[in-house]
Amino acid sequence: MMLRTKALVFMILYVMILSLIPLPFAVAQEKKGAKDEPVREKHQVTGLFMAEREADLKETFEKIPQVTLVAIDFESAEITVEYVAAQVFPGAKPNQVIERFDNMVRTASNSTFGIKPLRTIPAEKLTRIEVPVEGLDCKACTLAAYEAVYKLDGVEQAFASFRDGKVVALIQPEKTDRAKLEDALKKKGVHVVKTP
Amino acid sequence: MNAIVKSARAMLCLMILYVMILSFPASCRAQPKDFFEQHCIACHSAEVKKGGLDLSALKADLGNADNFARWLKIHDRIESGEMPPKDRKRPKADEIAAAAKAIGGMLGKAEQAKLAGEVRTGVRRLTRVEYENTVRDLLNLPGIPLQGELPADGSAHGFDNNSDALDISHVNLAKYIEAADRALDMAICTQPKPPSVVTQRISLANSAGFVAHVLMHGDGVLLKNKKPDPDFPPAAKHHHIDQGAHERMGSFRNGASVGLFRTEDESFHPYFIEFVTIYPGQYRIKTSFWAFQWNKGKVLPARGTEAARLSIVTLTGDGRGGGHPSTVLSYYDAPSMLETVHEFRTWLNPREIIGFNAASLAHAHTRGKDNAMGFEGPAIACDYFDVEGPIHDVWPPRSHQALFGDLPLVEFDPEASPKVKAPKRKPARQEMGAGRNRPDPEKGIWSVKSDDPLQDADRLLAKFLPRAFRRPVDAETRKVYVGKFEERLKAGDCFETAMRWTYRAALCSPDFLYHIEPAGKLDDHGLASRLSYFFWRSMPDEQLAKLADDGKLHDKETLRKETDRLLAHEKSKRFVEDFLGQWLKLRSIGANDPDRKLYPEFNQYLQDSTVAETRAYFRELLDQNLGAGYLVKSDFAMINEKLAVHYGIPGVSGTQIRKVKLPADSPRGGFLTQASILRITANGTTTSPVTRGAFVMERILGLPPEPPPSNVPAIEPDVRGAKTIREQLDKHRNDQACAACHAKIDPPGFALESFDVIGGFRERYRSIGAGDPAPRGSIDPFIGISFKLGPKVDATGNLPDGRPFSGVGEFQKLIADDRGLLLKNLARQFATYGAGRGMTFSDREEITAIVDRAQKTGGGIRTLMHEVIQSRLFATR
Repeated sequence: MMLRTKALVFMILYVMILSLIPLPFAVAQEKKGAKDEPVREKHQVTGLFMAEREADLKETFEKIPQVTLVAIDFESAEITVEYVAAQVFPGAKPNQVIERFDNMVRTASNSTFGIKPLRTIPAEKLTRIEVPVEGLDCKACTLAAYEAVYKLDGVEQAFASFRDGKVVALIQPEKTDRAKLEDALKKKGVHVVKTP
Repeated sequence: MNAIVKSARAMLCLMILYVMILSFPASCRAQPKDFFEQHCIACHSAEVKKGGLDLSALKADLGNADNFARWLKIHDRIESGEMPPKDRKRPKADEIAAAAKAIGGMLGKAEQAKLAGEVRTGVRRLTRVEYENTVRDLLNLPGIPLQGELPADGSAHGFDNNSDALDISHVNLAKYIEAADRALDMAICTQPKPPSVVTQRISLANSAGFVAHVLMHGDGVLLKNKKPDPDFPPAAKHHHIDQGAHERMGSFRNGASVGLFRTEDESFHPYFIEFVTIYPGQYRIKTSFWAFQWNKGKVLPARGTEAARLSIVTLTGDGRGGGHPSTVLSYYDAPSMLETVHEFRTWLNPREIIGFNAASLAHAHTRGKDNAMGFEGPAIACDYFDVEGPIHDVWPPRSHQALFGDLPLVEFDPEASPKVKAPKRKPARQEMGAGRNRPDPEKGIWSVKSDDPLQDADRLLAKFLPRAFRRPVDAETRKVYVGKFEERLKAGDCFETAMRWTYRAALCSPDFLYHIEPAGKLDDHGLASRLSYFFWRSMPDEQLAKLADDGKLHDKETLRKETDRLLAHEKSKRFVEDFLGQWLKLRSIGANDPDRKLYPEFNQYLQDSTVAETRAYFRELLDQNLGAGYLVKSDFAMINEKLAVHYGIPGVSGTQIRKVKLPADSPRGGFLTQASILRITANGTTTSPVTRGAFVMERILGLPPEPPPSNVPAIEPDVRGAKTIREQLDKHRNDQACAACHAKIDPPGFALESFDVIGGFRERYRSIGAGDPAPRGSIDPFIGISFKLGPKVDATGNLPDGRPFSGVGEFQKLIADDRGLLLKNLARQFATYGAGRGMTFSDREEITAIVDRAQKTGGGIRTLMHEVIQSRLFATR
């Protein structure tokens, strides 16, 4: 009886051990497969303030090895990229990927583009503010105007074009407003056209 | 009764004079006594004492310097015919000659007695200029800056290389040690391979510089294919915002040319600051300039060739801001719409960069409401700036080889030599944040290796010391230095450190710091050294030293050939700069800034051009062996476009100085009418016939006037236009006490009144008060004019001998005819400069002989120079 009981326990343990052994192996396999496979991800991009900047963005990604720019959605300032995380961001934890990617894009674009997580606030909760401006039709000046508003707390997305004479911002109304946008632009040296 | 007293006094005077003259040597008694009685005593008695001279009170003790000076003055006045004055009974020429000879003989003997057994040239150290040049040539470091850190030299007899001016103090000694260390730091090689050659293309609108900022605001534009760069539109109603955003966006790095409307000023210093030198050495510079006319957004052909200037700028402090000390490299042509490449090599030291200036442009006002798009005016474009270097044709560099010959450079191994201290090293680094060039990584400590230190030290010193000391060095002296080396070696220094210590000792020794010359007639090495310091301001080169070693330099023909060789060498520009800097005071060209209201057209480009003119003219006189008359008058000038415009001479374009035939009616020609001389002899607001006259008397004619009496105040200039300086002077000149001196000093100054403070020709004085509106003339249309035209200039006068002149042209003719006087002065200047001592009365005979010999063979200035160098004055200490 004792022997039988012992054998049973032994067998159960054996089965348990056997069942346990492939488990971590399988997990590791799955993880390895996830890192080695190319992934497609969407991110928000900063610095995409006018349509011509799409070409600059493509040029920037040409300088970043092993990352493919798949698509650009100018309206929402989002890009789709494809890369093998293990190759591009070796050793990075998932929450570090965006930060590293941002650094990579900033370096390649001389800090004129950046990467951030996709917007979480629904579009219907944002307010569109259009500020009429005047200035030189110069891409760098436009970048300056764009950055003046984009860096404000509560601005989720922005566009700027001196050619079209406007700076547009999608804002969280509870955090910012037109006056703050105009102030920031004026502080930067942008001539804000008074509206009736 | 009065008559009796008067005649008694006169008798007494005569008696005293007689006694005094009796003390003269017998040979020269008779003439002076008779001469004085007949022509002098009436005015220069104790009673009348005209001009402050009482002949009866004059002592015959010529060993006393004051007495000697008085008698010398009497001699000169009699010899020149100035005394007795014209309105008195004139002695016959042979009487004058005899009297002058008698006094001269007395003065000569007195001076010879005083100088007997004494050397004429005292012990003298190297001047700052000589020290720097000597170290440069000795160590093959052609651009090392040293003189700026040394105490300023004094000056005596017009030159700083005079033994009377070259004292030495503990400050000098401390500075010599520092300078020697700096030189050895730069000379000694510390790496097995030369630094990587950097090739860098820099836009004038480089980041961290001034230009990007002014481009943003419309004082310039970026251009592509001679059109505004579409990526950087010219500033208009709105200017560019956020320079940082533009730098990140690459606005200034897209290969566009930079067009500038603005010249350098107190707040704007264009630098190519992205290359800051780390390694000293030769660098190749290549840049491209052109000019255009900007017309509110359009690029049109320029008004002519503009001038771009490049300078070597030494960054001080943290390198930020502008106004760092700089040295002009040159001015470069920027022709209309034609990209012109300028390529050259230059030596650069650590922390040095290249600066730019749109030199020929006026301070234009582009900041209207439409900025660049509202501006019309001249501009200079810089397409790019390439720097490449350091360039080494051999490694280790020649500086290192001069110290360590062919000894190998090996990695220092502290384990192999635990008792030997490693040489100290300061790793090369980029000290300026703006510099994008970086040093090479340095691995290990590399140093000279010697298997037989004492023998190698002896061998190296045997080669080094004679070069450093400019003469053979005996074994005993060398042994002392080898002993110093051995001491350091025993103290644990490595071979390099011990040798470095020894070299430093040599560079701070009197043998190096002083001109060591034997008393009396110079030996060959003394002569070689004098010759080399005369023309190169530095040590003899190998050929000259070899001739001295072989004892051939006292051969007249050899000396002549060497003189010509040294003068033809590039280094002789040191002589031209140094000699003219002192003889004609060119060093003081920047002593004051011309008043901006009165002379708004003045700028640095004009100043540098004027100095370049005088140097080129002197070089031309030497090269062509032109006569003494050319010192004051010529039918050509050495000018560039800037000077041609200033002088009103048509048909000259570009920055380079060239020989130009003067129009027949031109008031220019000769040193006196060169803008540099006219500027040096004026202050920033007004001219003074006295100052200019004194300059001409002293520097050109060799007749230095008496110093002004201490109780006579200087004349205050009147720039309001009410009174001319001549009118102010007239009052002064009419004072009998002043008249005699001013009769001599003022005439040259009157003639030169035709030229203003900056050397421009004038018929009326400029005024900032009363006067008529001034026509623009040749002044750049972008320069605002606020001065007016005041009273007319009167440039007429009479020479001291009464000959009249109606203006500067006639004055030049009169002076140019007195070639003997001009040559004598120049011979005296050459001899003073060459021998390092003042010329005295007893040298006059030799100078006269030099001039006579020169005149017999054409009277050319080069001939005169040869005669001086072949003379006893030059070849004797």
